[in-house]
Amino acid sequence: MSAIVIAVATESGVPIFSRKRGNNENIQFSTIASLHGINMFSKCHNLSVINSQVENGSILWKEYYKSVTLIGIVTGGLECDLELLLACIHDVMVFCVGKKELENLKNIDQLKRDLRQCYPILDYLLESLDPNSVPSMTLVLDLTQSILCSQAQHLQQVLDTYAERVTGRWACLSIHGHLVATSSDFYELDPRESRLLLLLAAAQDGAPLRDTLVYLPYMSPDVAFRAVTCKLLADVYVLVVCGATPALSQIDEIVLQCWEGYAQIIKEAKLVHPRNFPGSITFEPCVLGIFLININRRRCVFSRHLQLSNQKGRGMSGSHRMDILRTFYVTSARDLAPELNFREILDKDSDESLGKITETYWSSEYHKCHAQRSTNLLCCVLYAPTIPTHTMRLLTSQMLQEFLTNKDIHW
Amino acid sequence: MNKFKNKVHYESPCDSDNDWTDSTGDSKYSDSESSVPEWDSDVGEDGELIFIKVKNNANDEVNAPLLENCETFKLRSDFKRASTRRSTKGRIFKALKSRKAKYDSTSGKINEYESTVSKNSLEDNNKFVIIQVSKNMIFNSEKNCQIEKLFGMSLETHMDGKTLIVANFLTEAKAIYIPRVKVGYYLLKINGIEVNSYNINNMLQRVIEDIESPKLTFQVVTGGFNIDLVKLLTLKNSPENSLTQLLKDSMCSVLYICCNDVEYQSNDDKGVLYCYPRPYNQNFLYNTRGAYVTLNHLAPKSLGTSEPVVSTVLYNNTLINVTYASHFTDLLLLAVPNKNLDLFCAKKLIGYVVKILEFLYGSLKSCFTKPNNVDKLDGLFSRIFVHLLFDNYKNASKEEGKVNTMLFEEFVACHAVTLPLEVKIQVDDAITELEAADYREWTDDVENFQRLYTVIGACLYYSGHLLSSHLRDEDLVEINAYLKFNSILRLSAEKELDKLVMWKEVFIKEHRSQNKNDRNENRIPDGRWFLLIVGKGHFILATLMEAGGCTEDAIGVTSPSPFYVEECESCLELLYEVGLHKYLASWFSSNTLPQVETTPEYLTKYGRKMKDTLKSDNLRTTTLKLSKSQPDLKRRHNSSDQINSGISSADNPINNYHSMSHHSLYHQWYNSSQKNYRHSSNLDISYSEDSNSLKSNSEISEERVTGRRADREQKARRDSSGSDSDWDRQDGSRTSGNIDMTDIRKSLLNELNNVAVHRITAGEENVLFHFVQLESEKGVLIAPMKTIEMQANNVLYSYIIASFKKACKKIHDLLQYSMKFKKNHAPSNPLNKILVAVREYGSLFEVPHEVLNQCGITKKNCEPFLFWVVGRVFSEPEPRELYICYHESVPQDLTEVALLLSYLE
Repeated sequence: MSAIVIAVATESGVPIFSRKRGNNENIQFSTIASLHGINMFSKCHNLSVINSQVENGSILWKEYYKSVTLIGIVTGGLECDLELLLACIHDVMVFCVGKKELENLKNIDQLKRDLRQCYPILDYLLESLDPNSVPSMTLVLDLTQSILCSQAQHLQQVLDTYAERVTGRWACLSIHGHLVATSSDFYELDPRESRLLLLLAAAQDGAPLRDTLVYLPYMSPDVAFRAVTCKLLADVYVLVVCGATPALSQIDEIVLQCWEGYAQIIKEAKLVHPRNFPGSITFEPCVLGIFLININRRRCVFSRHLQLSNQKGRGMSGSHRMDILRTFYVTSARDLAPELNFREILDKDSDESLGKITETYWSSEYHKCHAQRSTNLLCCVLYAPTIPTHTMRLLTSQMLQEFLTNKDIHW
Repeated sequence: MNKFKNKVHYESPCDSDNDWTDSTGDSKYSDSESSVPEWDSDVGEDGELIFIKVKNNANDEVNAPLLENCETFKLRSDFKRASTRRSTKGRIFKALKSRKAKYDSTSGKINEYESTVSKNSLEDNNKFVIIQVSKNMIFNSEKNCQIEKLFGMSLETHMDGKTLIVANFLTEAKAIYIPRVKVGYYLLKINGIEVNSYNINNMLQRVIEDIESPKLTFQVVTGGFNIDLVKLLTLKNSPENSLTQLLKDSMCSVLYICCNDVEYQSNDDKGVLYCYPRPYNQNFLYNTRGAYVTLNHLAPKSLGTSEPVVSTVLYNNTLINVTYASHFTDLLLLAVPNKNLDLFCAKKLIGYVVKILEFLYGSLKSCFTKPNNVDKLDGLFSRIFVHLLFDNYKNASKEEGKVNTMLFEEFVACHAVTLPLEVKIQVDDAITELEAADYREWTDDVENFQRLYTVIGACLYYSGHLLSSHLRDEDLVEINAYLKFNSILRLSAEKELDKLVMWKEVFIKEHRSQNKNDRNENRIPDGRWFLLIVGKGHFILATLMEAGGCTEDAIGVTSPSPFYVEECESCLELLYEVGLHKYLASWFSSNTLPQVETTPEYLTKYGRKMKDTLKSDNLRTTTLKLSKSQPDLKRRHNSSDQINSGISSADNPINNYHSMSHHSLYHQWYNSSQKNYRHSSNLDISYSEDSNSLKSNSEISEERVTGRRADREQKARRDSSGSDSDWDRQDGSRTSGNIDMTDIRKSLLNELNNVAVHRITAGEENVLFHFVQLESEKGVLIAPMKTIEMQANNVLYSYIIASFKKACKKIHDLLQYSMKFKKNHAPSNPLNKILVAVREYGSLFEVPHEVLNQCGITKKNCEPFLFWVVGRVFSEPEPRELYICYHESVPQDLTEVALLLSYLE
């Protein structure tokens, strides 16, 4: 698999950055120029090349604000998500430097330097297209990875008071890069923005307390906010978006006051990882992995350590299970939730939608996948290959029922 | 024998072409007039032939001919035929002929009489535009043409030779006409008086004399519905302007570019060897070719990917799929709007187009560099585009834009039909006899007479469905693509052909891919290959023939041999005599093997109630009808299987309906076949008075063969002694003599009698809505008839089928990973490991309430209507894919379904 993303200033053709993943060579400057030339040439003829497919891959041009063109090339991966990837990368660029800066593009060298800080975030995003690796941060591009635990409700109250104290509104707690709890107003943010905040926290690994100027691409692309990340325990961060005050030193004190008494709860919540589901939920032994999606909130929970007892998984490695479920979701199960479908240009003349799908499954010699939707929840389950299809359907719907009613689940 | 010699003589290329001007040639043929076939005058200078005559069936089309019995019509057609013979050779006549042929071909999809067409279309689209042109305006006409001077536009004559079509506007006049009048509209009236090409000059004179400003009435022509398959197929020149304009507007386009430096520099158009529709500068693909060429060059060299397959572009608010096909340094581009052909089909289409071009010309390069080939290519591509843009099938998919969702089977393989074994044997037998080419009885000079061609194989279609193929898989794929995208199959399905003869030199794949230096013993000869397509009724028989090797070498221009055409025709005639056409007509509407449920609402709770009430009604009528037909049946057949089966399936009204239709069809057929029988037996007697073997050979098939051979030998003996005039009669009735008609007919009848309803799904009720079994290696698929949706005539069913086809595209794409992996273990581009493992992919669909409401199922009593679409690959014994669509109520195992389906074959 190989993925390359290049950003070029539309008018001048100056390359802004280029990131890659996989076993490909770096792209030469002349190639970038030719690729950009194709786009410019077709634009002169009132033609826009929307997508080009190659064998097992695709090449995509996308222009933003008439100033920046993103070019993506992916082969051998989950290339169907390339368009989404470019949109996310664009979000990251706005997140870092703001919309105005991108529109004007006065000082390209300055822009290049400013964007360098978001390279780690870009690399996190690129890993989502690679089906053969263990993604550290981005499992899929359109969802925020989360942990479901019974402590979430309690933690929400703490987050609310904390946000109030620092005169912010949106705060959240992350464990191992997974969203665990949020302040009550957190969902005012666009899901894409909240995911960027989490990626920011992961990218600043190690710093105990830090504030960064961020532009929220959907809520305020022109006015910067201050995102404050604070490390509470190892792998546990609390994140808040606030205004210019209070100063960082004050925030340090506030954090201590707010969170001192909750170390135990956080530690309990931390134990839920990597199972990621509350202990009160049990699974059948034939269930090898589960990928649960809250469609409205664009949050997902992935788990491959379903059995509480410490039994070794037979045959299939954990990361492979993750890959299968992720690939299944991206290529097939996403059809169950048309609202998740990201396509900017659809031909209005042709009816490309598949119709209402309520369930879908794959089966192979080594495993079976089944996805079912119930109201707001979409559940993708990986089963052992010996389970008959109708049993899969039964088990999945039972699990969905459990997820909808269990009291320990707080999204 | 004399006549046969004549034929052979005629076939030699030096005669057929070089003697056009020779008056002695004329006289030579005049005395052998009877042997000159009616298609003879249509043979092109390159030896190719396309001859189509469509039957005028009053009930064939909605737009039935109004003037069928018109005196003038009859006279004209007589005149035409006579003239065909007279003007076989001779330049003047030839010119006249080609025009005549055109005239003939305007018959349109409606009939042979053009004025009927225009009358009809008048009724169809009664939209007129009236424009008043100021008398004071005088336009500059370069050609000093009266029409241009007065109206500022140029006209051309429609192919009927009468109607006037707007061809172009002068720049100054554009403001007056555009956008209300477009190129291609008919000029109908001037000052309220009808004009045509005959009276236009008088009219213009009147306009000049008149003080008032002239008023022009135009008839709006809504493009596609006047498109005429026959006309397009027989096209000898470039397609008419209105069609080109239509294709231009629809954004269909094709371009061939030569990208190597030498030719790029030397060529005026920067390497562009072919472009359609023209002019170049109005073709968007031509204007933007730089982008595609650069990308095609860049992707493999600098990006490390494969060459691009397809680019989706947005132009003039139209989403267009541009597909690529590389040939060394050259590039073929094909653009079709997404609303007509989605990405899935576009990707398949380019593959087929390349196949067709290679099949016809050997390679892409030779196709586009062959001199004087532009008109032919224009014709070919206009046919391909018209095939894609306009769906003439008379079903629900007539609405534009819905077309692309309906295409899945069409684009993955050739649609074959499972026939009952005995029928299949008959069909194969007929083709085998053609292939065997055992022509001993036609010449006693066996030693000196070398055959012209070896028949390598043939395939037979009925109504666009493949009945049997004796071709290599790769040849079948190419021939099928040729027939399909030239709309020949569609034509044969929609109309009843009176006669269709096509002859073309082709380049088979085996020959193309053969290494020239390979001195393998089993290599195919350095010969030439020809495709002969003969059609009659709804049958199309495509025969692949080889010249060279053990047959005579074909040198120079090779026109079709009447002898082989007759052979093919008689093969079809044989099938007619067997009654296969009638059998197939009922077979196609029988919905068996396996049966699909075409009334899906019967599977709901509400539907069951509905069914119960229907059943009680139905039973009554059934018994009534049965009582009528029973005595007949009993008299002719001792078995009453049919009746039993009718009753046993009475719990399902659909089954019942079908078996009822069988009764009537069968009945009718039996009567008519009896007539046939009498007729053919007369024939039998007429020439086989001395062959007793004929009567006895009906008992055992093995005996039949010996009987046949004996018979044939006898005939041969008689022939050699008899007079030459026996020849023609012999030829025509040969087939009926060789095979015992009564025997076959009986067996066919029995077969139809025993049509058992087969099910391949588990459960008490039939929950199967649709299925496709695809063998992509062979290029063949099995599915319910293309007309099944029309037969069902059910909103819910149509919705299910549409969903099925859309889902199949997605499933098919995914399953290809597995197929590709199995085929090639070390692909150049590593495949996604996870996708490779997937063998089965299924989705459960829910029918929206609106659709259910239309079927009378109200929200009150409706549980959600759910159905599965599942696809699976099987790698053993040979790779194939199975797609089925069934109601959710009974779980199905695809392996089991595949097994049951395979038993039916």
